[in-house]
Order: sequence, then structure tokens, then C-alpha cells
Amino acid sequence: MIWVTWRQHRAQLLVTAGFLALLGVLLLGSALEASRYVAEHAPPGCPGPAVACGDLAAALGQRYNAAYSVFGWMPLVAPALIGAFWGAPLLGREYERGTHRLAWTQSVPVRRWLAVKLSLLGGAVVAGGLLLSLMVSLWRPVFRTGVDSTFGNIGVFNMVGVEPAAWWLYAFALGTAAGTLFRRTLPAMALVVAGVAATMFTLFQLSDHYAEPVRTELSGTVLLDDPDARLVSAAWVEPSGREVAEPVGSGCPRRVDMGQSSKNAEAWQACLFGKGYRYAVYHHPPSRFWRFQWTEAAILTLTSAALVGLAVHRTLRRPG
Amino acid sequence: MSPALEATGLGVRFRRTWVLRDCSLSVPTGRVAALVGPNGAGKTTIMHTAVGLLRPALGSVRVAGEAAFVAQDKPLYDSFTVAEMLAFGRRMNTRWDDTAAAGRLAGLGIPLERKVGGLSGGQQAQVAVTLALACRPDLLVLDEPLANLDPLARHDVMRSIMAEVAGRELTVLLSSHVVSDLEETCDWLIVLNGGRLQVSGDIEELLDGHLVLTGPDGASAAGTQVVGASRTGRQVSMLVRGAPPLDPRWQARRPGLEELVMGYLRSPESAALPGLTGVGA
Repeated sequence: MIWVTWRQHRAQLLVTAGFLALLGVLLLGSALEASRYVAEHAPPGCPGPAVACGDLAAALGQRYNAAYSVFGWMPLVAPALIGAFWGAPLLGREYERGTHRLAWTQSVPVRRWLAVKLSLLGGAVVAGGLLLSLMVSLWRPVFRTGVDSTFGNIGVFNMVGVEPAAWWLYAFALGTAAGTLFRRTLPAMALVVAGVAATMFTLFQLSDHYAEPVRTELSGTVLLDDPDARLVSAAWVEPSGREVAEPVGSGCPRRVDMGQSSKNAEAWQACLFGKGYRYAVYHHPPSRFWRFQWTEAAILTLTSAALVGLAVHRTLRRPG
Repeated sequence: MSPALEATGLGVRFRRTWVLRDCSLSVPTGRVAALVGPNGAGKTTIMHTAVGLLRPALGSVRVAGEAAFVAQDKPLYDSFTVAEMLAFGRRMNTRWDDTAAAGRLAGLGIPLERKVGGLSGGQQAQVAVTLALACRPDLLVLDEPLANLDPLARHDVMRSIMAEVAGRELTVLLSSHVVSDLEETCDWLIVLNGGRLQVSGDIEELLDGHLVLTGPDGASAAGTQVVGASRTGRQVSMLVRGAPPLDPRWQARRPGLEELVMGYLRSPESAALPGLTGVGA
């Protein structure tokens, strides 16, 4: 059964492994080049927060962005590909080609055929996701000492920790279930792509509610000093202590900015702060990184379990 | 002799439609049973139920020992080589005769290193049958094994199955809607029509137990059980069961297999089943 699984799915396994290996080489090369640059060009005490380190940070930032642009699409596209090419054909293709009538009439019971395939391929998908997370997590610190954006940047957040594994597993389960629904590969693939995109959007909206946001009152500025926090909402606080979305009758002139300038908005904000207004920001601090990681992973894993359960139920109920 | 396949009160339903109703039959061990009927009669359904691909809503099917199945269109993994198809069979089965399978394919001149998708239809059918036989089954179930094959390949496939039956205690159940394919090879007949069982029995006994009568319109058929009749001008021809009629104007002869099957398929309300005496006309 293990050989059968390997033989039937080796194309997906090899392509995915090859892709991860290629990405590993790219990240390793990028990290080594950056380390050498730091060793050769860094002024004493750098990298660090000192002003003298500015040039170095900018150079590293350029290198980071160049490499990131190569795989920055991965949080959305990789799960969709996993679901379409690992999940959808698993049962969809068997039904489509009629080979399920061959596979499920041998001595190996359907139950065991399903268990072996789902566990081996599901395990491989989770391992692949974790490997991606590990590689990205080892690569990023070379460039970003001191500053981090693993929490605030949803794209990066979905590429580190347990997120890639959870997303890949979810897409695989969704594809497998879609294969039993349509009994054809192509519609199942389409459903996976749409489903992953819809789920990502939904969880992005939902993630604000994973925890009660922290309220911080700012005066003199509308920017949090922590750039990695996730903003949920913001409001003005009148001098009376009442929170309003838009200050009314404050007496501050509000002019619309033209083009790239935010001069007028800043002047208006400064005027409001001068009149005793404060700015309340509801946000999630980066210390909630793991809480959010595990919450999202749990949602995805439980949904995956439900989808796999559905696929198994549909398969065993009427395998013909 | 104990039956190799036994169905009792079998009923299968897809959503609200019954595709098989109240079907009870048994095929004795060592027989080559032909399952015939028009498209949509329930042939595939009865086979899928026998090999466990379908769960019946009512009744049960029992197979004595292991069953091997070749589904309609002989599904195989196109990207596998023939050798890999054999490896698939070896790893998916507890009973597996690799030497016999490899020898059989060598005898048929099918190269092991060739991709299954690149084989001819006849060769694919042979690979599918070889896989099923290599499991050393007690019952071999073949769904339309001869469909989409040219006359030469039909003959080759049928002959190679018969060679296996002769070699050991193997029961075969095969379906077809072409009766002439089955004439020389089968010794048991099952006729299904519209989800109901019409005929189940030994072919020789069935042919001996029926007569084709031809006579003038108006001749009395009293004393016989009429399965079906057809009229051409003043001449009446009918298939009857049991003893010849008293009216001397009838000419009687033994039916051919095709005549017997067609006679029943044209009169879905008639039946010739063991333990069933009343036959309607």
C-alpha cells in the first residue's frame, strides 16, 4: 500500500520536494550573501538601532525585498496548488477514470486504502509546510535584527510558525472532499482554488476576534510605536472622555490632502490633539503571535478533520 | 453442490429509484454464468453488489471464498507500466500468484515494460483479466469483458478465461448484451430485465425445458406455459415452457440460446426461476 501510494503520487511528491529544495537553495544563497555583506561593510556596533547602521539596514532591506518578491506569493498560492494537485486528484481522479473499481476490489479494504493514503499524503503535506516555515524562519533574522514583522504582516505570518502546515493540510483536505463531491478532478481543483481564497479572506476578517484587542490612548501622534502590532480599529476620544468615530464641532479646519501629501491631515490631527483630543487605537500586540498561530491552526485543523471525515463517509457509504 | 454466489431478496436503490428488486439467485461452483439483459437491466448493479462496491438496501449477497472483479471498461492505471500493474496487484492482495501472472502475459506477448496506456484495447483487457486471475479467486466477476473489443480480441480473451476455468475450480460470472458471445462458453444463464430477475438456471436444462412452436393462427396452446408469442401473417411462433401442446397442428423444436433469451426479454412478465411454477403468458 505504501508503494502504491508512492507510485501514484510520486509526481506531486517530487515536484513539491524539488520546489522546496529550490527555495531552500535560494534562501541559503541569499542569507550567505547578506551575511558576507554584513561582515564586510558593517560599521562597528552594527547591525543595530544606531544611526550609523542606517545604510547597512537599507542595503539589507533591498536584499530582503528582492528575495521576498520571489516567494511572497506563497501564502495564498502554495495551499491552492497543494489542494489542487494533492487533494483533488486523490479520489476525484480515481472516480473519473473508473480506477476506484479496480483499487477497491482488491484484498486491501477501502477503509485501509483510504487510511494509508490520507495519513501518508497528509503527513507529507504537513512536513512540507513545516519545512517551508523552518526555512523562512531561519532566513528572515539574517536581515531583520531588532525589527520584526512576523505578526503584523499577514503574508509573513502565514509563512512562519505552524501556519503553512495548517494551511497546506486544510487545502489538501478540501481538495480530497471536493474530489468525492464532484467525482472529477477539474471541478474539484476549481473548488479548492476558490475555497482557499475564500477561507483566507474569512480568517483574515475573523482574526481580529481571536482575542480582545488592547486599547491604547495616544496623544500627539496617531501611530503606535510598535510597527508589528495588528490594528483592529481606531477612534477619537473627546476631551470629555467620549469616544467618537469622527470628531464633530471641534473647530479644527479639515482640508483634503492632494496627491501623496498628508500635510493637511497632520495639521488637523495636531489641532485636535491641541484641543485635548486623544486617539484610541485598538490593536493586538506582537506578543500574541503564538496565540494567533495556534488559534488559526486549530480552526484549520478542525475544519480539515471535518472535511476528511466527509470524504471518508462519502467514499465508504457508496464506493461504487 | 454449494453455490459460489448466492443472492437472497436483493434490492438496490439509487436515491428513490429501485435498480434491482427482489432478486434471489445462486450460481453453483465451477459454472460459467452468463448475466444477460438490456442496458439498464441491473447487470452492473448486481455485480457491484457481489464484489462489495455497493451495499444493498435489502437482502444480501454471499460469495463463497474470494471474488476478483474486472469492471466495465477494464480500468487500469494508464501511467503504470505492465510490470507496475503487477506490483500493484501483488501489494494489494493477500493471495497473489506472480509467476502465473508474468507467465500469462509473456504467453500473450504483452511486454512488461510497456505503459498500460500504450497497449491496445485487447491487451488492456488481457492485463485486467490477468490481474484478476492472479489473485487466485474462487469467483471471477467480469462486467462486459468483451465490450469494445474486435472479434479476434473477443475470441482471445474468452479463450484465455476458459483455459483458466478448465485448469481449476473457478466460478465465473460475466455479463454481456451480446448473447452470441456466450453461446459456446457459458453453461449457466441469468436473465435480468428492468431490475428484475427473469431466468436463472443451467443452460442445457433451460433449452431442454423450452420449445419453439410454429403453427397456424388459432391453434390451441392449451397444456403449455407460453413465455411469449409473435405473429407473422397467419403464422404464429411462440416460446413455451414444459411439455408440447396437444394440438397436432404445432411444429415443435428446441430453441437456441438467443431465441430463449430474446423470448424472455420480449415478455418481461414471464419468468423461469427455480421454485417458481406459475409462468404468465
